Amino acid sequence: MDRDSILAIVIEQIRTVVPELEGEAIGAGEAMADLGLDSVSRQEVLILSMERIGLNLPLVQLFGPKNLGELAQLLQTRLAR
Amino acid sequence: MKPSVAGIGVATGLGYGKQALVDGMVAPRLLFAPLERPGRQLPAGAGDEQSPAPFIGVEMPEPPALLPARVARLTGLVGRVAVAVLDEAWREAGLDALHPERIGLVIGGSNLQARELLLLHQAYAQRLAWLPPTHGYAAFDTDLCGLCSAQFPIRGFANTIGGASASGSLAVLHAAQAVRSGRVDACIALGALHDLSSFELQAMRALGALSPGPACRPFDRAHDGFLFGESCAALVLVRPDLGLRSYGSIAGAAHVASGNRGPDPALAGELRAIAAALQDAGLAAQQIDYVNTHGTGTPLGDDTEAAALSAAGLRHAHLNATKSLIGHGISAAGAVEIAAVLLQMQQGRLHPTAHLEDPAQPELNWVLAGQPRPHRIRHALKLSFGFGGIDTAIVLSSP
Repeated sequence: MDRDSILAIVIEQIRTVVPELEGEAIGAGEAMADLGLDSVSRQEVLILSMERIGLNLPLVQLFGPKNLGELAQLLQTRLAR
Repeated sequence: MKPSVAGIGVATGLGYGKQALVDGMVAPRLLFAPLERPGRQLPAGAGDEQSPAPFIGVEMPEPPALLPARVARLTGLVGRVAVAVLDEAWREAGLDALHPERIGLVIGGSNLQARELLLLHQAYAQRLAWLPPTHGYAAFDTDLCGLCSAQFPIRGFANTIGGASASGSLAVLHAAQAVRSGRVDACIALGALHDLSSFELQAMRALGALSPGPACRPFDRAHDGFLFGESCAALVLVRPDLGLRSYGSIAGAAHVASGNRGPDPALAGELRAIAAALQDAGLAAQQIDYVNTHGTGTPLGDDTEAAALSAAGLRHAHLNATKSLIGHGISAAGAVEIAAVLLQMQQGRLHPTAHLEDPAQPELNWVLAGQPRPHRIRHALKLSFGFGGIDTAIVLSSP
């Protein structure tokens, strides 16, 4: 699975968790905090995304990425491992 | 000080809002049917000749959509119904005019979301790693406190209180205390929807408490158990000097422990609760003109309550059983039935007790099936009893 496919999955989960973002563009450069997600919502997006891509990591290993593109890249790296 | 009730919100199988309940008390409708919500079915093959599936009861219509989409997707049936009922009571009482820190909330009920917990456990048993993190707080009944105080400006306090089938009445009792003590100027008592799953229903069937249906017959010689009925009510109790509208006042209240662990009722506890509530209200039994009974339809429960009413000197009082119309809401029942008392007070008419045609205690003053009775309530008594030896009595007086 490539980075862009994972990014699309993460964005889909963000739209599930925050239905109010319907119709708004969401790109690789944005951070979840900028989109109005609090820490619990962020955890929910991460868990939903990991289930979709078949990855089971401790959430603490997903801290660090500054935007959705970096997050998708991190998930892709872990998935490829 | 006697707190008055300035707003009522209610939902039952009859629908949302007070008018639906008033209409259903004037002209009872047959609501009982096989329960259809997911999580209330017996697994295939689980039924046998002694315990045939499905369970019979009453389910409510879908609540109105009042929550933002982001909140709604994290809110189960219990929460969505609570918000709908609280919205009705809040608006009617005009609570926006009060300072949020002078408003409290007591939610009656515990283990409220049993059905949705069962569904969650089934869905995630094989994939626990993907369990939604929101379950970490939503699993607590206090999530309902958080939901309600996030949606409405309630900043005095908010907590849940458990009293099994007496939870709704216990919430009213504690809300009344909060107003009487001066802790807050207004306190909402919310009897929460008790979202039972097939596990609780099957266990109550095994206890012999649940009727096989199709009707619930409190105090009739043919009574054979209770039937579950989804419901929820919110009552806004306020200081009487705020100048808000009043359906009536909480004139007195009592709660005692009967020292009973199992499901059986206790005559001594019921009598002590009645006597203590009358004393708190400063009234004699003779001054009570109407009793809204706990009246679930279980033979031992009904017979014990009827004995308590006789022994307490209440043979003269008009009696009915609201559960015969809408089923037993468990945690919600007391609050819903106090709403029913106040609405009957307003309407000047007592609802019939459905299916009560041949009373096991004909010496008592029953409002029988098919015979609604014009009556101006002055002082009413509401009885609620819960598993765990919880006996409550509340006196309500007309404005």
